[in-house]
Amino acid sequence: MVLPRLIKNTMIHTFNLLADLGTRSRICLAANVGMMNAALEWIARSSRKFPRLAAVCGLVLVIPVGVVDYQTGLEVSVSLLYLIPVCLSTWFVGRAVGVFVSCASASAWLAADVLGRSVVGHALVPLWNAVTLAATFVVVAFLLAALKRKNETLEAAVLDRTSTLRSEVAERILAEQHLQHANAELRAAREDLQRSLTELQDSHAELQNTQLQLIEAAKSESIGRLAAGVAHEVKNPLMTLSLGTDYFLNHGPGTSDEAALLQDMKEAVRRGSSIINLLLDFAKPRPVQFQSEDLNALIENSLSLARHQLTACRISVVREFQNNLPLVPLDRNRVEHVLVNLLINAAHAMRDGGTLTVRAHVHPGPTALQSGSGTATVEIEDTGPGIPSEHLTKVFEPFYTTKPPGQGTGLGLAIVRKIMEIHGGSVALTNRTGGGARATLTFNLQTKQES
Amino acid sequence: MTKKRILVIDDEPSITRSLKLNLEANGGCEVRTVNNPCHALEMARKFKPDLVLLDVMMPEMDGGEVAAQLRANALLKDVPLIFLTAIVSNKETGGHEMISGANAFLAKPVDWHELKACLAEHLGSELQPIGTPGSASVESDKPGVWLD
Repeated sequence: MVLPRLIKNTMIHTFNLLADLGTRSRICLAANVGMMNAALEWIARSSRKFPRLAAVCGLVLVIPVGVVDYQTGLEVSVSLLYLIPVCLSTWFVGRAVGVFVSCASASAWLAADVLGRSVVGHALVPLWNAVTLAATFVVVAFLLAALKRKNETLEAAVLDRTSTLRSEVAERILAEQHLQHANAELRAAREDLQRSLTELQDSHAELQNTQLQLIEAAKSESIGRLAAGVAHEVKNPLMTLSLGTDYFLNHGPGTSDEAALLQDMKEAVRRGSSIINLLLDFAKPRPVQFQSEDLNALIENSLSLARHQLTACRISVVREFQNNLPLVPLDRNRVEHVLVNLLINAAHAMRDGGTLTVRAHVHPGPTALQSGSGTATVEIEDTGPGIPSEHLTKVFEPFYTTKPPGQGTGLGLAIVRKIMEIHGGSVALTNRTGGGARATLTFNLQTKQES
Repeated sequence: MTKKRILVIDDEPSITRSLKLNLEANGGCEVRTVNNPCHALEMARKFKPDLVLLDVMMPEMDGGEVAAQLRANALLKDVPLIFLTAIVSNKETGGHEMISGANAFLAKPVDWHELKACLAEHLGSELQPIGTPGSASVESDKPGVWLD
């Protein structure tokens, strides 16, 4: 839109000039104006993308035009003053203003031409040029000032926005820190909770354990009371029976059958009495007397005590004794009781014959034991049917028996466990993978050494 | 020979009876029995036993108290006291150690041979059934005096 008008103005202007000038001057002017217009068009086109480059190029073009003007004797300022505002306004403000200034100048030229037919050499030309220049500077200055204000406003807005953003960022960082802090607190609280849960579980287990122990203690106590009462009530009649039997034995029983009957009565009294003693022993064991004993000899002795039972059931005995066992601190009578009890249990499990393996060894080997630490282990294995798993946990409970009524008191293994506990040792019953059961006795080699 | 005099104190008549029978027939002793411990001291003073067999647990008065009464008497303070107890290795047995002046404890049910051995130890001489040859030759509980 702008360019055709510009070209039209320029052409009118050119023709007006041509009418007044000589042929050479006309050609020069035509070239001059053509170049100017070409430059303007190029500036207008390229200033869209590179306004400052266009302005510089425009100024560079002015110089040869000025030279040509000077040589042709034309007013130099015509070209220069025409082009310079255009370039300056393009430089500072942009293409649109540059085109506006160009149009204004061209219009002014046209107006001057219309009024004075020719502006070349006209007295008003320098004045007009000066006014145009001044007006251009005023416009440029005004636009620059406006631009500066706009820039300042923009900068202020940017600063404002930046500070807002900065404070927002700071707030977010703070919030994030709070969040992290809260997170850490939460984590700590969770750990605390976990810890208290573990503690609670521990104390619960401990409580259950204590409860079990209390029940055991209460059971023991009631067994003690029961035992004392039973002992008193049963032993007195047993004594009468015992002494009566003795009297008749000493006074000559009539027949041999009568003598045998009296012996049976004595045996019955002895059995009754030993059951009561077992009960009393369980309720309140006598003080234990520890002495260093040869474990192998003790096992051998127990085997000979149980020999009758073992041979009756046609059981072959395998001995796997470690040589040079260190002496073990123990109460001989009680441990013998334990061993005989376990041997007879094993024999009862193999009524139709079998193999009994008795093993004795120490950990960690005799040489290391000189320092006084370690354990001695006795294992008694049978080839019987083993122990049903539902009984395994209960066999050590007092009065728990799998034997038919009248054949077991249910105290045997309970006493075994008690005796092993007194020794600071332990007893365990397991089923062997190959069938049969295994009883394992563990003695501590040092704990009771001092007592 | 003088028969050894033995006082038996137990609240159960069946026990005193069986002890008396054995001690008299098989031990050649002279035996008095008391079933009520409250009468024990009186009987002991009259009877002047060489040895006393005493039950620990009795309803009226326990063996320890009876022993204390006997020990308090000038005539009876050196008489050997053998306690018969039904409850060995129980809480009450611990109390027995507190009974002063006990020479021995025997656990019920007592066997005759056990009783005989214990009595012999505390009487200083073997018990012999009545009429057994040799019993008359054992004259005194102080044979040393005779030998010297």
